[in-house]
Amino acid sequence: MEHAEYTNSVNSGNVDCNNVKNSYNNIVNLNQIIADENPEIMQWLSPLDPRRRHQDVRTDRFDSVGSWFLERNEFREWRSGGGGAEKAVLFGYGNPGVGKTFLR
Amino acid sequence: MIDSLCDESVEEDIAVAAFYCDFRDQQEQTTANIIGAILKQLVAREEVLGHMQTAFRKAKRELGGRGPRLPDMVRMLKQAIASLPQVFICIDALDECLPKNLPELLESLKDILQESLRTRIFVTGRPHVEAEVVRYFTTGVMVPISPSRHEIKRYLERKLDMDTMWDAMSDALRADILKIIPERISEMCV
Repeated sequence: MEHAEYTNSVNSGNVDCNNVKNSYNNIVNLNQIIADENPEIMQWLSPLDPRRRHQDVRTDRFDSVGSWFLERNEFREWRSGGGGAEKAVLFGYGNPGVGKTFLR
Repeated sequence: MIDSLCDESVEEDIAVAAFYCDFRDQQEQTTANIIGAILKQLVAREEVLGHMQTAFRKAKRELGGRGPRLPDMVRMLKQAIASLPQVFICIDALDECLPKNLPELLESLKDILQESLRTRIFVTGRPHVEAEVVRYFTTGVMVPISPSRHEIKRYLERKLDMDTMWDAMSDALRADILKIIPERISEMCV
């Protein structure tokens, strides 16, 4: 099964993936390569760098905090697209300090 | 949330872009810069990069070389999303973005969603921005976020284990802390 998914993913890409880590051409890796090779354009698109902030959040996060959220029906439906375009937006609200940022 | 989606992106062909609004950075977090920061994470196809190189060179030729404008950003983001099988966009702390920028940001997201029915957007914020979110996304799904008692207890246990003043702790005090604090916090969050 795993093998089938791997083959499927590789076939669906159209960019040579020899220089990709794990020789895997998923979207995240392709984006990383393009961003690294075009720093001037990336800077022009936005001076903001959310990846750095994400690293901080990941470091500060207490392991498994917020994993309950991933079990919620609302999340599952949103993730799978079951609710269609009508339910394309999920809004998690709460007061300061409840862990909105740290949902895993 | 982002890490979970990213873990899955290794096996599934999905793209994830995240942004954290931050009140300390409000001046620089204009709508164009936020959309641009999301776009940066979704450029994974050579043809999309090509569109950007063209726009970049054109902007550079203009007097002083201007930054991209919001309509250009939204257009390029739509192109990037259209080039990918499925995109998830996560934006944290909407309440920390400048209030005058929020309608513009939500309108841009709405515009993007209308052209790409498979795109999913997750936003977080304090309860007071809910009305604004609903104004733009009338069918959006609202979920309250609050830590479970079990989660608070595990967090406290870890903090107590890491306590540098461990010799000041007794089993009785530890038991009290682990019992009382999760109860109180759960009451506060309900």
